[in-house]
Amino acid sequence: MMNFAHYTNQKNPTQAVNQAVEAAKKANAKLNAVVTLVDPGEQLSQLEKYAGGKMFGIPIVLKDNVNTRGILTTAGSRILGNYVPQYDATIAEKLREAGAVVIAKSSLDEFGMGGSNLSAATGPVYNPYDLTRMSGGSSGGSAVLVASGVVPFAIGSDTGDSVRKPASYNGIVGYKPTYGRISRYGIIPYASSLDHVAFFTRNVTDAAIALEVLSGRDDRDMTSLQLPVEDYASALNPSLKGKRIGILTNVLKAITNPDIQAHFATLVANLKEQGATIVDIEMNQDLLSAILPTYYIIANAEATANHSNLDGLRFGVQKEGKEVDEVMSASRTAGFGKQIRKRFVIGSYALFVENQDKLFRKAQKVRRLIVEDLKNALSGIDGLIAPASAGVAPKLTDTSMDQLSSTYLIAENYMVMGNFSGYPSVTLPLGYCDGLPVGVNLTCKLYDEQTTLNLALAIEQATGLADQIKEVA
Amino acid sequence: MNRYEPEYFKSLAKQLRFSLSDEEARAIADEFGVLLDQMDLLDKIDTEGVEEMVYPIEEETSFMRDDEVGHTFTVEQALFNAPHQANDHFVTVKVVG
Amino acid sequence: MNYETVIGIEIHCELKTATKMFSPAPVTFAKRPNSCVNEIDLAHPGTLPSLNKNAVKQAIKACAVLNLEIDPLIRFDRKNYYYPDLAKGYQITQQFHPIGKNGHVSIPTSNGEKIVRINRLHMEEDTAKQFHYNTETWIDYNRAGTPLVEIVSEPDMRNAEEAVAYVEKLRSILYYLGVSDVKMEEGSLRCDINISLRPVGSEAYGVKTEIKNLNSLNNIKVAIEAEIKRQSELLDKGDAVEQATRRYDDVAKTTILMRKKEGSVDYKYFPEPNIPPIRLRKEWVDEIIATLPELPEARKERYLSIGLSEYDATVLTQNKDLSDFYDEILKHTDQTKIAANWCISELPAVLDTQHLASAKNKLTPKNLADMINGIKAGAISSKQAKDVLPHLIQGENFEDVVNRLGLKQVSDTGELLRVIVETLDEQAQSVVDFHNGKDRALGFLVGQVMKKTKGQANPALTSTLITEELMKRKP
Ligand SMILES: [Mg+2]
Ligand SMILES: [Zn+2]
Repeated sequence: MMNFAHYTNQKNPTQAVNQAVEAAKKANAKLNAVVTLVDPGEQLSQLEKYAGGKMFGIPIVLKDNVNTRGILTTAGSRILGNYVPQYDATIAEKLREAGAVVIAKSSLDEFGMGGSNLSAATGPVYNPYDLTRMSGGSSGGSAVLVASGVVPFAIGSDTGDSVRKPASYNGIVGYKPTYGRISRYGIIPYASSLDHVAFFTRNVTDAAIALEVLSGRDDRDMTSLQLPVEDYASALNPSLKGKRIGILTNVLKAITNPDIQAHFATLVANLKEQGATIVDIEMNQDLLSAILPTYYIIANAEATANHSNLDGLRFGVQKEGKEVDEVMSASRTAGFGKQIRKRFVIGSYALFVENQDKLFRKAQKVRRLIVEDLKNALSGIDGLIAPASAGVAPKLTDTSMDQLSSTYLIAENYMVMGNFSGYPSVTLPLGYCDGLPVGVNLTCKLYDEQTTLNLALAIEQATGLADQIKEVA
Repeated sequence: MNRYEPEYFKSLAKQLRFSLSDEEARAIADEFGVLLDQMDLLDKIDTEGVEEMVYPIEEETSFMRDDEVGHTFTVEQALFNAPHQANDHFVTVKVVG
Repeated sequence: MNYETVIGIEIHCELKTATKMFSPAPVTFAKRPNSCVNEIDLAHPGTLPSLNKNAVKQAIKACAVLNLEIDPLIRFDRKNYYYPDLAKGYQITQQFHPIGKNGHVSIPTSNGEKIVRINRLHMEEDTAKQFHYNTETWIDYNRAGTPLVEIVSEPDMRNAEEAVAYVEKLRSILYYLGVSDVKMEEGSLRCDINISLRPVGSEAYGVKTEIKNLNSLNNIKVAIEAEIKRQSELLDKGDAVEQATRRYDDVAKTTILMRKKEGSVDYKYFPEPNIPPIRLRKEWVDEIIATLPELPEARKERYLSIGLSEYDATVLTQNKDLSDFYDEILKHTDQTKIAANWCISELPAVLDTQHLASAKNKLTPKNLADMINGIKAGAISSKQAKDVLPHLIQGENFEDVVNRLGLKQVSDTGELLRVIVETLDEQAQSVVDFHNGKDRALGFLVGQVMKKTKGQANPALTSTLITEELMKRKP
């Protein structure tokens, strides 16, 4: 089992890390998941300093929107194609101090703004279970490098299910903690009020350990929580005695895939057998249908401002112009993909004074109603579960999903509730449909990471799908 | 809500300091229709008296940073990524206006 | 036609803090370019703002003395626009919830005190400095992110005199509070003047122009007068004033168009998602207000109450550095008037009293007080004191200087009498002259005594003793 313990127990971490580097090179030839391979030599030479660290000697991957001092960091965008940060993200420091060794910066949808990983400047990332299919996104590169066995851990970011969806498509665990649990300092943003640092592992125990390493107040991020780091891993307890688990029926009704329905029914039966009380939870259908437009407006409005710093003047790829406005425009036109420019235009439209009431502020109000509805839904239960997507990873060529169908609006987008609310939420393997993984998502109450991890562990034991690896030799 | 000609989106893009090709502008104009349909889903929801939710966590905070000098770049670090520089300054073509 | 002028003023004031508004990089003036920045000031991707507590404290102090209502919930917004001096592409400011609103300040005018209402005071961050050359623009981000407050008055001023008085009043208050350096030349205090005319008796406002980049009180005065003239000539001709931003041109002696305002720019303000609302603890705010430094008006009152003249009290109060120094002197002497005289008349002749804390000046309040006490006690004369002062500025002790220069004034009656008797014996003719009513003779005799004592005799004492001795020798 290539879990955390496998690495932290190694007598020779250098060898294990170098093996991971070789595996990354090999896998990347098939997956196109890596933006930058990191030579781990320097880190390995310093590694002894961090002996005893919770992630000592573990080779890891960072999504390429995590700033790493001295190492190219592109956020999947051409405009940052030459950007070498002069500072480390807080989590890069924390992982280093825990003894983890970064071996690659992974591909993502440009600035995390997508769910397919098709908009990455370095091209699509391929699904290890079927190379003609998407990895999902926006943390696609990180997801497939964990799924294919290259590393047991990778950082992602989750603004609108960008870790939890690819986790579903790749048969691994994708954990998004409470907003503010992990510092965002040094993470190249998408939308500040929705962005979460999240991560992939192959089992729940590793996720608990990783959360201990990454959590904690950071004064550099004013939205960082003032809460102590708990001993999540040692407190793990999968017992379902007395636990109440809700099933989000709106999602199940929207899913037409019978395989997924069957896997989910099996899981529910199993959870019941372990002692859980299962209750049906129905949320307001109109609110759930409004998640996508609400998200689209808020995320793109924040994003257009967040990326106004990318003007080619202080860093990044500059294009020529006769005067400075022309330089900015030329740099931004060439530097941003067309999807991104489209989203900035929409986001900016929503922010115009004459449109704010109807769009931006309206979306922020609906956001509150959705979060209140979720809070009510969770009030009598410990966790809320549903399939993490309506189907398996789509084909790379497939962009045909009807954007107004309830399958699309609800089943494919409901996990964004976790970003609206900041509630902890995790996706883990549910089963396979024709050999392709699908996941189950669990969302719990604000701040309650321990219950999230405990219930996730119970689900993992019910499915028996810990430590899934799909090698691409 | 209004539907717009592609030219309108080109003018929006210009304000955001980038340009759209004719094709891109047309695509946005078309897709804007889908977006407006989705907006109808928002309009259906009664938000009378509801306050905007700006932050996911709404518990009050009181932390402010102490006024002590901390992490500062060397001039070399500051200019490390500069496309053009001279005499410790960032340099651009002339700013007009 | 007769017009009434309507003036409103926006002041941007850099706060005196060690670090930036949202980053821990230092705030300094005239350092090596781009040496006081970090990733936040340069808006590198992934950076987040972290609010400076001291900047908030400075803003609270300003709010308190400008009678502004303080919002105990601090909130920030983004103001979006693209410009090379604005690294993030947005400025973090307080559009929707300024920390202070609905205040007022009283200004002196030729018709007595006048209340000017203050609409708001909000916190924001400064931009970078640009240097425009022929074909290039150079940018130094050291100033980027420096804490600012913007203070917006209501359009309550009616002429240049009032506008100048308002700016002068705010400068002096903010300086006394230690909130800012308020140096207009260096840009740490910047004024934008909004000005419009309307027919006398009219309630409606005319079209206003905004004059920017006024870097001295005098420029404010002449610019306003020039703009009044320009606008009234337009209106007299029946032309319209165009809403625009203008600047004052020193050479042309008039305001010049910078840019027209075509509708208002949409800055697409929205709440800053990276800074949650911050609740100010009431005890903290109360403590800041309770420990506010003394303001100029209170200080002047205090000076009058310890016996200074209106003139002395005014002059001292106008120069806070000097006035602070004066207050330090008073800790070591009760000679308030002599001390004031030295501060007002003598120190400016030999020192830069705007910057008493300079390398050239080692004068301590204690040493100056010792000297003043010495004068009062008759240990040295005022004339000798003027010779002593330069040595004190070099850092010497008063006692040491007096001893080294042998300036000890002879105030010992016995010793003086011995010299006086000797002198009167030698100058018998002068004694006779004195008794014959020739007043000049007394001065001559005092001079002789001074000569014999090499100037060390206490002149007043000498004069008294000679007179007594002369009376004894009355024929
Ligand atoms: Mg203003
Ligand atoms: Zn301002």
